[in-house]
Amino acid sequence: MLQLGARDLAQRLLAHEAAADKTSVSAESAALRVHEKLRRSLCVLAGVAGYRSLASRALTLAKARAPGLRAMQVTADGTLQMHSEARSESHKGLAGDNQVILISELLGLLHAFIGEALTLRLLREAWPNAVFEDCDSGEEEKA
Amino acid sequence: MSAQDKVAINKLPTGVLGLDEIVGGGLPEFSFNIIAGAPGSGKTTLAHQFVFANATPERPALYFTVLGESAIKMLRYQQQYTFFDPAKLPGSIRFINLSQVVLEKDLGAVLAEIIKEVEKANPAVVVVDSFRTMVRRPQGSPSELDLQSFIQHLALFLASWQATTFLIGEYDEDELRDNPVFTVADGLIWLRQIAERNSVVRKLQIMKLRGQASVPGLHTFRITDAGLQAFSRTFGLSGHKKRPPSQRRLSIGVPELDKMMGGGIPEGDSVLITGASGTGKSVLATQFIAAGIRQGEPGIVAVFEERPQAYADRAGSFGLDLESPQKDGTLLILYLRPLDLSVDETMNEILDAVKRIGAKRLVIDSLAGFEMALSPGFREDFRESLYRMIFALTGIGVTILSTVEVDESFTEFPFSTYSISFLTDDIVRLRYVSIEGELRKIVVIIKMRGGDHSQDIREYEITSEGMVIAGERLKDYQHLITGIPERLRASEKKKVIE
Repeated sequence: MLQLGARDLAQRLLAHEAAADKTSVSAESAALRVHEKLRRSLCVLAGVAGYRSLASRALTLAKARAPGLRAMQVTADGTLQMHSEARSESHKGLAGDNQVILISELLGLLHAFIGEALTLRLLREAWPNAVFEDCDSGEEEKA
Repeated sequence: MSAQDKVAINKLPTGVLGLDEIVGGGLPEFSFNIIAGAPGSGKTTLAHQFVFANATPERPALYFTVLGESAIKMLRYQQQYTFFDPAKLPGSIRFINLSQVVLEKDLGAVLAEIIKEVEKANPAVVVVDSFRTMVRRPQGSPSELDLQSFIQHLALFLASWQATTFLIGEYDEDELRDNPVFTVADGLIWLRQIAERNSVVRKLQIMKLRGQASVPGLHTFRITDAGLQAFSRTFGLSGHKKRPPSQRRLSIGVPELDKMMGGGIPEGDSVLITGASGTGKSVLATQFIAAGIRQGEPGIVAVFEERPQAYADRAGSFGLDLESPQKDGTLLILYLRPLDLSVDETMNEILDAVKRIGAKRLVIDSLAGFEMALSPGFREDFRESLYRMIFALTGIGVTILSTVEVDESFTEFPFSTYSISFLTDDIVRLRYVSIEGELRKIVVIIKMRGGDHSQDIREYEITSEGMVIAGERLKDYQHLITGIPERLRASEKKKVIE
């Protein structure tokens, strides 16, 4: 598992996005923005299809832990959205702890596939202003 | 045009141990190269090694992945190699997936995407993995003209942007003649993986390299934790000058045998000790190494049939201390991994050891063990390989003593079962003889290329001090070399002495 823990890291990213967008009151928007930043970064690396399959797997794992996420789906281009039929109902979607669970599952998958060092490097690339000092894997580029 | 008028082509390190020497010092900067081979032959790993060796934050590497291996999985596996430095990602090495463009658009759009990324990143290295899947597209293969135009534009653009490029592809050698990509390419590296009986042998060939001379032929390579390691057919000695012949003689460690050899072994010679099992070949080889160490000449013993400790213990039983010189770095006993070796790999290990300790003497004990340690495919070329190896080693002044076991026959007097006597400068034959109801041993110098040697047939014993030559030449017998000598009658003996 990641040095800091996928959950802590997810919380940190969500907090960073929430703080960055003071205009929005929706916690859901922070989760969607984290997901979107990960999508943009990982689609370059793995392609849309590659990212979509990773995100779908993370959502499936997250749904098992947070049934409220059943309202969410991954679209063809890898973005995250709520089922159209769920929008009219009072589904929790990404509210509360669900967003942390979903993002932490995605980070956990990345960690499982490419390891801590590369995962953190990808996150640093997507969030250049976020603070990851205490999760430094000790890998500094050699001159 | 004089040398100073010519443009100097900068050579980039390949990041693959041994490959720089094969390609003539490194790959030409700004060259457009193809790495071809079957799946599993090491193409992606080779490209990664080059990328990790050359990418910098100022001049990064762009690694375009297309259909085929997922980039996530590629990173998962490639990071297992020691050359993989995660700190280089994504600042110096950027992976870009082109699958979507390839699947949905035409080659023009693919080219446009590559151009966009290259102009943005100003890379020193560009890799397209796999180029083959890029041009073999789901909408049907492009026309030959479209393909030619795409390759032409890609090569032109990347060269103009001063990028050294690698296209990776699963090609067959049959395609070499008709595929336009091979015409455009400046360099073509072909990797092969050949199953031979129960062994797998990997070989690479530089089929084309514009601008500089590469070492021709098939070179073996191995994939280890460190990635690919190549072993040049010329053992990395292609640029070395052959040492002038030495007049110096080296002691073999048995004073009487030195005399029989005309004063010892000429330095830089290849000596073959041949005899049946138990005749003392390994003992003599150990005495040769021990004599060198006493003279301050570091030595290497390459063993194939027993472990170094067992070899040193056996030497100890003859009063020869091989432990201390190993500790003080004047002796290396190399136990070479058996069953799938190539001669080139063996040579690489031996040459590394020679350089490391400045060895002057080398024992190969034995040639039969060496042959058995090789992959079956290499056994077929054993003589040729041995020739290259001996030539290379003696060329740098190492004196080699090899042992070879021969079947003891009482009707023949074979020097070696390998017909390799032409490869050696000197041959010492050890043999059993039956005399007066005892199985005794004789030694005879068959050949000394460097000059005169004794024609005597001498009896010897293996004592607690090793090989000891006993008494004068055996004058009382004839047909000694048959193994079943006859005692001469007094009149015949007188004739022999005269």
